[in-house]
Amino acid sequence: MRSAKAESAPIISGIGAATAFGYGVSTFRQALRNPGNPFGVMRRPGRQAADITFPGAELPDPPAGILAARIARTTGLTGHVAAAVLQEAWRDANLDSVAPEKIGLVIGGSNTNAREHMLTRQSYASKLHFLSPQYGHRFFDTDLCGLCTSLLPIRGFAYTLGGASASGLLAVQHAADAVRSGRVEACIALGALQDLSYFECQALRALGAMGSECRPFDQARDGFVYGECSAALVLSRSGPGYGRVLGAAHIANGNRGPEPSLDGEVRAIRMALADAGVAAEQIDYVNTHGTGSPLGDDTEVAALREAGLTHARINATKSIIGHGLSAAGAVELVAVLLQMGDGFLHPTRNLENPVAPDLHWANGESFQARTALKLSFGFGGIDTALVVGALET
Amino acid sequence: MDSDSILEIITTTIHSIVPDLSDTPITASDTMSQLGLDSVERQEVVILTLEAIGLEIPLVQLRGPRTIGDLAMLLHAKRKG
Repeated sequence: MRSAKAESAPIISGIGAATAFGYGVSTFRQALRNPGNPFGVMRRPGRQAADITFPGAELPDPPAGILAARIARTTGLTGHVAAAVLQEAWRDANLDSVAPEKIGLVIGGSNTNAREHMLTRQSYASKLHFLSPQYGHRFFDTDLCGLCTSLLPIRGFAYTLGGASASGLLAVQHAADAVRSGRVEACIALGALQDLSYFECQALRALGAMGSECRPFDQARDGFVYGECSAALVLSRSGPGYGRVLGAAHIANGNRGPEPSLDGEVRAIRMALADAGVAAEQIDYVNTHGTGSPLGDDTEVAALREAGLTHARINATKSIIGHGLSAAGAVELVAVLLQMGDGFLHPTRNLENPVAPDLHWANGESFQARTALKLSFGFGGIDTALVVGALET
Repeated sequence: MDSDSILEIITTTIHSIVPDLSDTPITASDTMSQLGLDSVERQEVVILTLEAIGLEIPLVQLRGPRTIGDLAMLLHAKRKG
């Protein structure tokens, strides 16, 4: 019998996604089934400097007609992609039937337009007098709130929140809270595309975080590889959907920089399980943070052991799409829902010699996950975990 | 450059900023507000026009409601110094 708490847990009633494989949830679903290789040298303007290039996965151009020409002119990549995934999730959840004042929007991500800002600085370096007034509102992260709420009738509230690479999952937590508390009837969580310039890429490389090839949990891993992506999830009180957010947790582990924290990760996992009223043994699938960072992957494996999750099947969606940073948690949660819906678990690409061979690495097998755990960790000492349950049928 | 040439630069700029207006003829007696430009777009038209005619002056000198023709004449006068 399900608890009263599970009955009232918010439902994910609509999803939209974009990855380097293309736009739309169906494209993402296909990529999880048959992961091709979307990685290469990144080519976008502002992603390479002189002789320095970076590997990564870049999105195709946004579908035509996503934005009217007048709006498209003043909107960057992050905004275009946000509009695409938001509109997909909106239609999927049939949000036209909800009163605008009862719809909220939480956008996960900060400094999401770094590349665009750098290009603006470059073009106006020698003519500051003529700097575009557009930059005066576009440099705020809230410009994305303004864009989204001007495109769609969202009138409850809209804000951005920063959690570095945990931003996307954190946005889902906030959206679930807003629905659970009754503040709104539906709340959209958007994992915003983190548009990096070569400046951020080089700094992440200098930090030792960015590697050369995407191979989470493999002994040969040497860091994460960036992948452009974004996703929107609609949290609702009722209705058909993809699963329920049973519980979640978000803690500070006290680290300033990129160092992972075993204590922090274990605490977040235990708190999320407690919030969901679910025992560790009931988790049958874990979608890891799994970036391919040497220390990060080892720490996460240690956290899974300490939290009693070695029985669960695991995989790393970043191995297929790359690391979306601010968007990662949201996009990967969509991957969790798609796999639960399809009754299969995707393989972890490039996983030839796992760091922990005794764990249950999924390999594209049929498997009906009923209760899944999604983990996301962010620089600045942020650890988050979220428990999703399949809908009763 | 006479004020008619500046007026032409202003109208071209308006058309590039608001593609919806591409079929709408723009005359000297129009105001940008009447044409439906929002405050940021109006400011952008002024700055892009300044750039096109190579005029660097404090923007406060260009405040106040006026028609596109008035704006062209003011810019023409400022340019002559």
